[in-house]
Amino acid sequence: MRLLVVEDNALLSELLAKGLRTAGYETDLLATAAEAHAALMTTTYAAIILDLGLPDGDGLSVLRELRHRKDPTPVLVLTARGGLQDRVSGLRSGADDYMVKPFALEELVARLEALLRRPGQQLGSSLHIANLGFDLRSRQATIDDQPQVLSSRETAVLELLMRSKGRVVSKKQVEDHIFGLSGEVASNAVEVYVHRLRKQLSDKGAKVQIHTIRGVGYLIAEEKRDPV
Amino acid sequence: MIRFKSIISRIVILHVIAVAITSVLMSVALSWLLNLATNNIHNEAMEEQAASLAQHLVLQADGTLSLELPPNLQGLYSQPYGRYSYAVTDEGGKTLFSSLNDKAAVFPADPRASAVQFLETHVGDAAISGASIRRSIDDKTVWVQAAEDLANRDVLIDDIVDDFYKHVGWITLPILLVLLVTDIAIFRRALLPLRRASEIAQQIGPARTDIRLPVGEIPSEVTPLVSAINKALDRLDEGFRLQREFTADAAHELRTPLSILRARVETLDDPRVAKALHMDIEAMSRVVGQLLDIAELEAFAIDPSEVADLQGACAEVAEFIAPLALEQGREIALLGATDPVWVKGNAEMMKRAIRNLAENAIRHTPKETVVEFVVEESGTVTVQDCGPGISDEERKLIFQRFWRRDRNQQGSTGLGLSIVQRIAELHGATIDVQNRVMGGAQFSLHFVRTSAPS
Repeated sequence: MRLLVVEDNALLSELLAKGLRTAGYETDLLATAAEAHAALMTTTYAAIILDLGLPDGDGLSVLRELRHRKDPTPVLVLTARGGLQDRVSGLRSGADDYMVKPFALEELVARLEALLRRPGQQLGSSLHIANLGFDLRSRQATIDDQPQVLSSRETAVLELLMRSKGRVVSKKQVEDHIFGLSGEVASNAVEVYVHRLRKQLSDKGAKVQIHTIRGVGYLIAEEKRDPV
Repeated sequence: MIRFKSIISRIVILHVIAVAITSVLMSVALSWLLNLATNNIHNEAMEEQAASLAQHLVLQADGTLSLELPPNLQGLYSQPYGRYSYAVTDEGGKTLFSSLNDKAAVFPADPRASAVQFLETHVGDAAISGASIRRSIDDKTVWVQAAEDLANRDVLIDDIVDDFYKHVGWITLPILLVLLVTDIAIFRRALLPLRRASEIAQQIGPARTDIRLPVGEIPSEVTPLVSAINKALDRLDEGFRLQREFTADAAHELRTPLSILRARVETLDDPRVAKALHMDIEAMSRVVGQLLDIAELEAFAIDPSEVADLQGACAEVAEFIAPLALEQGREIALLGATDPVWVKGNAEMMKRAIRNLAENAIRHTPKETVVEFVVEESGTVTVQDCGPGISDEERKLIFQRFWRRDRNQQGSTGLGLSIVQRIAELHGATIDVQNRVMGGAQFSLHFVRTSAPS
């Protein structure tokens, strides 16, 4: 899978390319907004990693141009500016995600994968946390590669949690995901499904934990080994 | 000396002074003009009288002149009546005829005098004024003088002037007052654009440096001032822009090398070394990030019309920070209001403040305990931990930049609470620090409650 990296610092873009290659991605490295404009006119990439501070102008202009052409290629914006206005304008211009330097390569790859797994994007396959697996195409959960039987609602909750690995999923998101717009939802329905799923997973030996963040939502993570 | 600050008061005062001076000048000018006019009439009359007297000069056969006046003229010049007088003099200065008792000339004879002369003389208290004309009868040249005693004339003119003021003059005062009122109205109208400009200027602040005063309607006398103010605003705006750019540039210059360092460390072979270095980089990134936050906050101002959902902001911070807390064995809970709580301010800023409070709380709360966010309908958010709490001595110190309880503690920069304080200041919010009854510290931020945006 080929990614475009637009970053003017040669050293950083080399290191990025190296890290991404380890994660299984090929990269084209460009250093200016003009080059990026030219490349995007002729080539389609799986995703674009875009630095905002480019020598010949704002990286946002590349993004706006892309979105103006209705090109849906996911764009992950990298920026040194953590400023309020910058964040807002970055997301308004159509960035799919946003990372402030300095970032962890691991997190960059994780977020990139999340972008590529979005419906309509290129990465399909499966998601893994510890010994728990989830195939996005067949919607099949596995523990230690053994297929598991879960109800459709439990599967839906698990899918949402797995897709948002490492991030909190709000209760509202879970509600919307499992019930859609179909009528009334009992106020504790989500709790009930999460509870059932949690029980199922622990009974079947999955080394994952579904955390409840009271008032906020849920988060799936690898089970903490014995606290030292 | 009294100084009149407002232009209107200056106009009123100057106008009143002008009215007073005008009234005085007008009466003076009026009497002078009347005097002049009566003088002219008098002079003309005298000249005519002299001319008609001259018509009655007759040359006798013996070469002498005789003056034979008809009875009506004789009556006019008769001595008891005394108002008018005449005399005729010849080239030698000798008086030929005179209506006066002593038969002298009315005015001293002057052979060089021109054809028509207006003269004045005084006899006792009386002022005598008249005309002298030159006449040639055959080869003789004579001067015919006619004069009038002016004893009562000034009184007459004064009467006329008095009369004028009594019957006509009073109208000047109302006219002058109407003028004054008109002037004030005109000025108020002319100053209206200035008042509007002041209203616009009220809105200018650090959050709105783009506003300029309208020059179009401003009276041309004031335009230079308004343009100068606009130029000053341009320069200030530029200053703000440079400050913002500096922050952006500094961020770039500091964060890009950190990213490189981090990426390099991630490719190290020895995972233990990598982990240690990683933590150092984390700590340094935090300092850089918070310093940049402070730099940005210095130049930041909140649009007074901005509103934010405090509950939503807390939920976002809780979502963001929960994975980090869980990783460190701490939990996060969001309590209190579940519906939006609208307060005045900038949502991003609020999130930063709450996040800094939360990061502090996570650092101080023991493992297996919960950091709670409590949002109240009143516009207050409280972040509470189960840590050691804050002693009274520390309470004064905690908001100082770079203050830390333990200078060797990893992950603390001593900047977090000063950022919280600055954000609170910008929002007109108050910070409240307390120890919980069951142990632990709680920080409350009281924002200004407002209604939902339309």
